[in-house]
Amino acid sequence: MIKPKLLFILFLLFYTIIVVKLFYLQVFQTSSTEVTYLKTNKIPPERGKIYDRNGEPLAVNNTTYLLYIEPKLIKNKDEAKYKLDSLLHIGDATLEAKFDETKDWMPVQGKLDKEQKQKILSLGLKGIGFEDEYQRYYPEGSLSAHLLGFVGKDTGGEDVGYFGIEGFYDKELVGLPGVMKTDRDIFGKPILIGTQQKLDPINGRDLYLTIDSSIQEFVKKKLIAALETYKAKEGCVIVTNPNTLEILALTCLPDFAAEHYYEFTEDFFRNPAISNLYEPGSTFKPLIMSAALEEKKIKPDDFYNESGPIGVTGYTIRTWNNKYEGKISMTHILEKSSNVGMVYVGQRLGNDKIFSYLEKYGFGKDTGIDLQGEATGYLKPKNSWYPIDFATVTFGQGIAVTPIQMVQAFSSLINGGKLLEPYIVKKVVFQQEEKIIEPTVKRTVISKKTSDIIKKMLLSTVEKGEVKWLIPKGYKIAGKTGTAQIPIEGHYDPSKTVASFIGFAPVTNPKFLALVVLREPKTSPWGSETAAPLFFEIAKELLVYYNIAPE
Amino acid sequence: MKQLLVLKHLVFIALVILLFCNIFVFLQSIKLGDQINKYEKEINRLHQENLVLENNVYEVDSLQYASSMAASLNFTQKAEPTFLDELKYARNQ
Repeated sequence: MIKPKLLFILFLLFYTIIVVKLFYLQVFQTSSTEVTYLKTNKIPPERGKIYDRNGEPLAVNNTTYLLYIEPKLIKNKDEAKYKLDSLLHIGDATLEAKFDETKDWMPVQGKLDKEQKQKILSLGLKGIGFEDEYQRYYPEGSLSAHLLGFVGKDTGGEDVGYFGIEGFYDKELVGLPGVMKTDRDIFGKPILIGTQQKLDPINGRDLYLTIDSSIQEFVKKKLIAALETYKAKEGCVIVTNPNTLEILALTCLPDFAAEHYYEFTEDFFRNPAISNLYEPGSTFKPLIMSAALEEKKIKPDDFYNESGPIGVTGYTIRTWNNKYEGKISMTHILEKSSNVGMVYVGQRLGNDKIFSYLEKYGFGKDTGIDLQGEATGYLKPKNSWYPIDFATVTFGQGIAVTPIQMVQAFSSLINGGKLLEPYIVKKVVFQQEEKIIEPTVKRTVISKKTSDIIKKMLLSTVEKGEVKWLIPKGYKIAGKTGTAQIPIEGHYDPSKTVASFIGFAPVTNPKFLALVVLREPKTSPWGSETAAPLFFEIAKELLVYYNIAPE
Repeated sequence: MKQLLVLKHLVFIALVILLFCNIFVFLQSIKLGDQINKYEKEINRLHQENLVLENNVYEVDSLQYASSMAASLNFTQKAEPTFLDELKYARNQ
């Protein structure tokens, strides 16, 4: 009888001790038990990856580590600070602020690599830990910096995309973080009978761009070389498929290194192709010419008597070389880029129609391209236009447009008249689902007949223009040069120009359209001597790349 | 009396069995906890390793890497196609 009694008493004593201890922990030390046993970890989602049209990666993820401390658990704070500072070189004052005993958890430093993590772990410090985090990695370096944008932090320390694709598609790319809530013993192992809740993170959606990284690569190389050759301040090249307005390459220089974005000022982040305004100059002439053709106000073989400078409400308009040829055809107006000839075309078209076509071409409104930071351009209200404005706009002065607006409008001239919305993302992939983005037609601006006529006129502009370029034999390439002086304090500075060329090939069924813009070239102010040679170099590469047969 | 004694023995045996069961379940839960911990770490490690390998593949597959390799191997010759004047003869062939 003694043995069972003894055993019973022992059990009773044992359970009483447990009950008392549990009562103490749960009633008097509630906060400490929660902190010690219940661990809540945020599981970061993986940011969606960005690929080019062929599935080549442009932005993927790399794992880095965030070092954190639990100040209340660190006994010898001076030793911990000294050891951490010897490895991380954060500075005494910063570390002192991190060791705040009123806080349970404090982040110390992020973006640590695996080697740094191992070194810190080898210090054997208690009360420190690591959280996994993702950092963007760009296999192609800064090839598409303006296009992609970068991933920085918001005020709450969370990753957020800025500029370009990262900014525009941030909500698609970011994903949703998961949560892990588990009771853990003092060794950090899960307690099975305790709380075990896990909500998996939802990774961001992957984006497939319309960009072809091979084209992007050679276009960028050629632009770098051209900036050096022509000593230009800035340069931009946009290559697109004019039938869909998928952007095949978009590069502007100077740009920035997306991985080290914090080393650059904000000026570098702006994508000049969508954010900077410029006066398009003579590249604008085909738009007005097409409008006049569409409205049947002129025919390509109509003649204009180019007798000399013309006056418009007190202003004198001249040709670029101040030479006048007498009777010239409409096609020859484009070939010799006659400003006075274009004023005549504008007068035939009429002011109301000029303004209406500017709106139809999409000027003064954003194009809707899926990149963050697009500017709308500037088209002043119709009632603020003076007669001189209607005259100068016919040859592309007095109007400010973005390069992407120019590409959008010009594409409509050569694709049969459809004004399309330019786009960069071709496909969005989420788990097993795919969403294909189709081209969007906004409206029809000109008829197919007018489109065919203007294509022939632009071919003639290249073939019979005053400057001869290196055109690959057997190919027909059409386009138009542009040189616009830069307005400074209400006047045009003749020494500072924006030189441009917009062209396409093959002429009958265009596969690509490219716009080249060089700001302030020093070797020559003319688009025909700077932007045009760069365009033809790019066009030559594209003809080979697409295996386009001669026409 | 004898029946009561047998019952007491049975209760005692049952208590001892329960005690051992309790210890067994406790040890098993620790073991399972260990395993969960191990697999969690292993999954994480594999995921990290996968990312590193994936990025290594992307790097050696990139145009930048190909370009730097071509430069280091002195492969500097560019494709220079010959454009023909008399295309009709080329087409006839």
